[in-house]
Order: sequence, then structure tokens, then C-alpha cells
Amino acid sequence: MSDARITFDTSESGAWGTSESTPMANMTENLNLQRALLRYMSHSPTVRLLDRVKVVSIDREDKEGGLGWPLVHLSNGTTLRTRLLVGADGFNSPVRSYAGISSYGWAYDTQAIVATLNHPERSQFELPNNTAYQRFLPTGPIAFLPLSPTTSSLVWSTKPRLASTLTKADPAVLASMINAAFRLPEVSVRYLHESILDAHDADKPLSHSQIMEEIAWRERSHDISRHSAYNSTSSVVSERGVPPDDSGSLPPLVTSIQPSTIASFPLRYNHTDSYIGEGAGSRTVLIGDAAHTVHPLAGQGLNLGLADVEALARCISSTVMQGGDIGSYTALLPYARERYFENHKVMSAVDKLHKLYSSTAEPVVWARSVGVEVLNELDSVKAALMMNAGAYGRKRNLGSGWDVIASGFSLATGVVNATKIIGGGMTGLLGVGLQSLSKTLNQTNSK
Amino acid sequence: MRLPVSLQRSIQLSSRAKGASHGRRYIQTTVNSDEINHFSRLSAQWWDEHGEFAFLHRMNPVRMQFVRDKIIETARDEHDESVTDEIGIKKDVLTGMDVLDVGCGGGLLSESLARLGANILGIDASESNIGIASLHSAADPQLSPSPPGSRSPSGSLSYRNIAAEGLLQEPRRFDVVCSMEVLEHVDNPATFLSTCAELVKPGGHLFLSTIARTPLSYFLTIFTAEYLLRKVSIGTHTYSKFVNPSEIVSFFQSYRSPLLTSHDAPDSSSFGRPWITRTYDHGLPTRTEAEVRGMIYVPWKGEWVLMPRSSTAWGATECNYMFWVRKPRE
Repeated sequence: MSDARITFDTSESGAWGTSESTPMANMTENLNLQRALLRYMSHSPTVRLLDRVKVVSIDREDKEGGLGWPLVHLSNGTTLRTRLLVGADGFNSPVRSYAGISSYGWAYDTQAIVATLNHPERSQFELPNNTAYQRFLPTGPIAFLPLSPTTSSLVWSTKPRLASTLTKADPAVLASMINAAFRLPEVSVRYLHESILDAHDADKPLSHSQIMEEIAWRERSHDISRHSAYNSTSSVVSERGVPPDDSGSLPPLVTSIQPSTIASFPLRYNHTDSYIGEGAGSRTVLIGDAAHTVHPLAGQGLNLGLADVEALARCISSTVMQGGDIGSYTALLPYARERYFENHKVMSAVDKLHKLYSSTAEPVVWARSVGVEVLNELDSVKAALMMNAGAYGRKRNLGSGWDVIASGFSLATGVVNATKIIGGGMTGLLGVGLQSLSKTLNQTNSK
Repeated sequence: MRLPVSLQRSIQLSSRAKGASHGRRYIQTTVNSDEINHFSRLSAQWWDEHGEFAFLHRMNPVRMQFVRDKIIETARDEHDESVTDEIGIKKDVLTGMDVLDVGCGGGLLSESLARLGANILGIDASESNIGIASLHSAADPQLSPSPPGSRSPSGSLSYRNIAAEGLLQEPRRFDVVCSMEVLEHVDNPATFLSTCAELVKPGGHLFLSTIARTPLSYFLTIFTAEYLLRKVSIGTHTYSKFVNPSEIVSFFQSYRSPLLTSHDAPDSSSFGRPWITRTYDHGLPTRTEAEVRGMIYVPWKGEWVLMPRSSTAWGATECNYMFWVRKPRE
């Protein structure tokens, strides 16, 4: 574990003629995204939305000559016969199991904790709350993603046992642990985690005051000044006063956690063998998490899903114009050809990144720390990284040439020890993982 | 029904073309019984997108794009812009048109044409093809006949087991006649072409797609597809039956359709002007009368691509190509 860090600032990518005020990416809560989509759909006369129903089962129409279409049976007793069944139903996709599409992947032995955090507004001497932070701990990255001046999202990937202990603990304990996880040296973070697990096993969970006491003791023993932003327990800095020099290196102090926003779920790497159902499972196509799930550390899950949707919509629209059958394999093939390798590229880069940062072995730590310090000096490479991370609305005219180069660099992110990622605007590298995760979560909950 | 093999496949068609089949006591057909047996054997595979007809499935979007573009282009030439601005973005460009698909096979093209709003009749000389085509379209609510009174967005689709020459005996004529990948399978292509031409209403369109007779087409469609890759059954194509685009163009340079008298009966003595009256120096027709466009299969994309008009003098028509011609209005 080292303190190597890299910052991403949108002004560094000005070389490509994009306006400097353009944010790298935008964060939005899932609720807002859903509300906007629902409003848009309500204006479309051809979209019929069925609510308050569940899919009971999917089976194949029994018809001579293998022409059966998928039948979707709903909880209100109706049955939908579908020309094309789009599986946008998350990691445990029922459409995927109906289509008989197998997938490969592995569990990460990691659980993600998500929550919405409250914190004081940044003072007038600091940058506004539009910078995302991510610290790579050996147990997994912890990310802080701004939503509004006083709220932010948490995505904390860690070992399953710790995740379940933390989510069951008093929210005040979790808040203190989040503050500590961004601030204390790794050895102390590890010690805190072990003690909270031991106390949990002994059936004597630590109280909030016990945790605060422990963190305060650690801060003293690491000589963290009471005037530093790294101090989370006994800071003498007043809320309205002049902030410490290093306040920009850290997210604001979390004061509380919004009720009932804490949740956790397992992380997996998963990619289906195909996006299009064939034979008995024909007339099906998979998009988003139903087709692929990635580790949220680079926040690419939702981006991949949106790109899927865009490609599929284009594919369907050109088929309709040519009088084709949108459920046919031939009609869907351009979608799969466009997305499969593209998704695979990003997914493996994210996976390598996770593996690199899980290591505490000295040579690996040294190599990635040197790499990150070097990379931090290479503005053009960083700009390419930011572009690939999904910023600037993925302008088409940036061309696939850059895309290829930039993805080359995303493998190079393997050596980025990003304790902090600063953006002049909102930061995209981590941006949207949360939405895709909480979306999955919602779907899992609703099942 | 098959006539003696004196119907040699010469493409010196012009003199014979005028004589078309009117006034004969029997119906002469261009149907080759060996070919019909061949495709009847394979009929069950028409809708297997990975099987024997995979290449045709992949080719269909390109054929449809050509038909669509040509219909829109003629509409633009004939109407003022305000009417035609929207036609490019709307789906049902064939609404209200009577369309005939000659040699419809399993109905790959017919179904697509119906979805663009056409009233379509698919005909095939193979009974089992018609059976497969009807069965397949019945499963699709977009294609099944809509109840009378309701204005269905799609057109109507029906199939008949009849040869094109048989249909000529009936009074019905069509705004659009398509015959895709058929010309290279018929006996006496000249008679077949004039039959198709006579089924077109004045001012209507004739669309064809076929394969040119070149070393390249032998290498790709017979040697590679049939023998090397075994993607297509051996014997599907016969090299000597392939037709070059210049031969079709020269056929329509001399082909004149019989004029109808006031009683709607063909008058054997009067003919209209040739369908193609002008060509450029290199032999290509003008855009408003006829058009030839090459089609190329791009293996690494798994897609067929319609070559641009300007790619070569003949538009890359050394192998598969599309042909369009318009019947004079007279």
C-alpha cells in the first residue's frame, strides 16, 4: 500500500477542443433517471407500460415446425406473445435462462456496500462538491461520488464478512468507518476492520463511541495533526473557518447516512457466450447486466448498458425500415457484432485493475505506485483515459481510432494508484457504476 | 409442362422477346423441373438462418434497401419535394402497391415487402416452398390477413403455387415485380424476363437480382460456397446459367411491351418504346430508366454490402448484382 495518487481534471483534455467547463461525466441518482424515462415514455403513443405485474414464467409457444415465439406469462393472468424479447432484467436474467444462453465468469469474493451520505457543504474557500474520490484498499476500492452540495453516494467494495458486519452495524459506526477508510494509513484501516469483525464474532458489536475512541487513538499514533483534513475525530477546524491546506485531497467528512439507503450485494465478473438466443431460445436478445456484469470500480456498468441500448435501437430501426423481422437472428446480428468485443475490452480492463489492486506484494505495489506517479505527469495520456471513461457524451467524431488508443491506456490504468481522482467538473471514471449497481439491486429486490 | 431443350440458353434474346407468350394455346413455362426438385428438397430449411439459406437471409436487408431506395428515388423524381420529404423517413413506402414476388421460395423477400405496406402475392413453382412460406407467415400477426374494415398498417400477403407464365393468363398486373435470385435457375431467361416484364403495370418497377457469369462468380458462388466451404448444397448453381448485367441491359434496350387496346386486350401488332432508350458510353443505362448495382459479401462483417453506383464502371457487378428497370408509361 502506498500513497501514490493521480488526479484527473477536465481542463487537461482541452487539447481536443472540448470546452473546459464540460464535466467529465454526470452523476445522477437512479430515481431521477427512472423518473425521466417514465416521463419520456408517457409521451410515446406506441409504448405501453404494464405496472404492478410480475413475470411469472416464460415459455415457448408450442407450434409445428419450430416456429414458436416466446410467451411471457404475467401475474395478472395475461400472456404476451413476443416477436422479440429483450432481456434487460439484470444479472439473474430470467430471459437469459429461458434463452439457454450460458455465461462464464467468477465471483470476486467481494461485496459492495452502497449508501447515500450526508455531509456539510464545502466552504467558500474550497472547490464545490463535484469531485469524486476513490481509494484502492487491498480489500477493494472505496468510492465517494458527489450528488449535491450536501449529499454523496458511497460504493465500497470489500470482503463479504466485513460488508455484512458493517451494513448491520449502527449507521453512525459505518459513517465513522467510511471517514477512517479515506484517511487512515492502510495498516490502521486493516486493524479497525479486524477489531470490528472480532467484536461482531464475539457477539459484542462495537458502539459508535468505542469506534471513535479507537480511530482517535490511531490518529494520535500516526501523528495526524488536529488541524489536518486527515483528522476525522478531534478536528479543531471549524465548519465556517479557513479549511486546512489538504482539504481538497479528501472528500468531506461524512456526518450521517440517509436512512434505509444502506444495501450490499455480491460482485461478479460475468459475460454471456452470446447476446442473441438461438434455436429453442430464439427471438431473444440480452442487454446490460443481463449480458455482462463488471466490478464497479471504474463505474462502467451503466455506460456499457447504455451503449448496448443505443446499438440495439439502431439495429432494430434499420431492420424495420427494410421490412425485416426484428426477432430474427440475422436482424440482431449487427447489434451483437458491434457490442460484444467492445464490452469485453472494457470488462477485462476493469477486471485486471481489480486484480492489480488486490495485491499487497511489495514489487507489485512499487511498480503500480511508480506507474501512477509517472502517469500523473502525462497529461495527454490522462486525457485519453478520461475520454475512455465515458466523458463528453462519447462524441462520435472522436473516432474509433482514439477509442482503440484510449482502451490501450485503460489497460495502463493497471498501474494507477488513484487514491484521489479530482475533476474540474464531476468525475466520470467512477461516475455511473453506482446507478447500474443500484439498478441491479432494485431488480433483485423486486424479484 | 417442360418444353424440349431446344430452348437453348442463348442470351441473344431480343428477337424472341417480342414474341412473348400471348395467344398461345398452351402455357410455356421457364420452370426447370430439376431446379424445382432441388429446392423442394431443401424447402424445410428456408427459415433456418444458420443453414443452407444463411447467405440469402443476410442478403435480404440489402435487397430490401435497394428496392426501398429506388421506390423513394422515383417518387422524388415525380412529385415535388414537400410530398417526398417524409417518404424517406417513413416505413411503409410500398403502401397501396400491388407487388409480385416471382420465385418467392420460403417467403424471405415477400414477408419483408409486406411489412413495408405492399399488397403482395408470392408465387413459386415448388409446392413445398409455398407450403413452408404460408406456414411461416401464418405465425406472424403482422402478416396475417387483417379483419375487413380495419386499416392494418402492413399490407396483405398471399402465396400461390403457380409459374409466372401461368399468372400471365390472368388479368392482374403489378406496380412492382420482384424476382430475386431466380433468373440463374430458369430455362430460357429471355422468355422469363419478358414474362416478368409483361406482369408490370405501365410506369411500374421490375427488380431482379442474380449472378454474373465471370471467373470471379464461379470462384465465389460455386467453388468456394458449394465445394470449399459447403455452405450451399452442391448443384445449387450452374455456371452456364449465370447472366451478365450487360445482357439484361441489352435485352431491355430492345424489349418493347405490347400496347393495350381500349378493350384491355393486347394488340399483337403495336408495341411501346424500348424500356431502355439511352445508355452512357460504357453501356450503363441512365438512372431514371434502369440501374445495375453490385452486391458484395464481406466475410469479416458477415454482411452483404450494396456497392455504390460509382465504384466501377459497372458498379462492381462481377458477381452478385441487383437490377432495376421501369416500364414506360406510354
